[in-house]
Amino acid sequence: MDISDSEKDNCLMTKRVLVIIPAYNEEETIASVVASLREHAPDFDILVIDDGSTDDTAKVVRELGGVELVRLPFNLGIGSAVQTGFKYALRQGYDVAVQCDADGQHPVAQLKSLVDHLEKGGADMVIGSRYVSPTAYVPSWSRRVGKSLLSRLVNIAIGGGITDTTSGFRALNRRALRVLAKHYPDDYPEAEALVILHRSGLRAVEIPVDMQPRQGGSSSIKPVHAAYYMVKVAMAICIDRVRRFTHISGEP
Amino acid sequence: MPSYEQTGIQWVHQVGIFFLTFVLLGTVLELVRRGYLKERYALLWLASAAGSFLVGLFPGIIEGLAALFHFQYLTILFGLYFAFTLALVLSFSIILSRLSEKNRALTQEVALLSHAVEQLEKRQQG
Repeated sequence: MDISDSEKDNCLMTKRVLVIIPAYNEEETIASVVASLREHAPDFDILVIDDGSTDDTAKVVRELGGVELVRLPFNLGIGSAVQTGFKYALRQGYDVAVQCDADGQHPVAQLKSLVDHLEKGGADMVIGSRYVSPTAYVPSWSRRVGKSLLSRLVNIAIGGGITDTTSGFRALNRRALRVLAKHYPDDYPEAEALVILHRSGLRAVEIPVDMQPRQGGSSSIKPVHAAYYMVKVAMAICIDRVRRFTHISGEP
Repeated sequence: MPSYEQTGIQWVHQVGIFFLTFVLLGTVLELVRRGYLKERYALLWLASAAGSFLVGLFPGIIEGLAALFHFQYLTILFGLYFAFTLALVLSFSIILSRLSEKNRALTQEVALLSHAVEQLEKRQQG
């Protein structure tokens, strides 16, 4: 269902950008995130993936209007929700997709700089990083330890260069979308996605952004899940180094 | 009174092996006949039954292994059944992983299609 490249050349003057917002029970914050997107990036289309929310997230989004809404029939996990957005972006012929959280932590004002950086070329994915320069963002102690271990592991796997491996604030081109539409972990996907892209011969870079504290709702990573998170992602990253990816050979 | 040093397989155990084999075989075939079990997955169980049948037919296998590893033959017997069970459980995990992957792709597809239908309906009305 991918539209052909010649068709794209005919109908496009500028790059079409889609902002993908995965939302699971985000009725409190989704409206303000969309409003701030409209303010800072009025040219970008917005897609909300409702990941089986049990609250009024979908209703709130419908009332906003002008926002595309795809509803998963039940909760699939953040990775699967985002991947649904990747598939949508590919099929609708978008050139760039930006992933942005629904909880208001991502600095929407800096979203354009992610896309600009991607359009300069040289990278298939641009990550908005919380650690490249000093920012206001301070994660909890346990999260810092876990993340720094994982981050080290990821950097060993991909040959270094990324300080914020778990940031979910990212812009991707069609090459990266094609790879991740086929292989994307269903939970805690960010770190592993870097390894998958690296193995596909694609390049990721990061630029500094300022993260905000959460505006409402609760974090998707609860302390009880931290151990599962660590072990699962660490194992996946190690296996990704040698995993048989059937689609990767012969892909452009 | 049977002695624990005895290494030869006892006929009552051999009968037991055959009995279990035929109960397993009968159950599996009946489940396939009624359509509760797909042939594809029944094959694993039939292989287990075949293995069990072989052991019943040639108890020398058990006795040989018992002598080799210095175990009593009953230990070897249960060890073999345990290995079969492990193989079955592992195959279930593989099947489960494959199913969950397909389930995820299907769910995403349903969501994208229902969005496309909504768009079409809107366009028709408008």
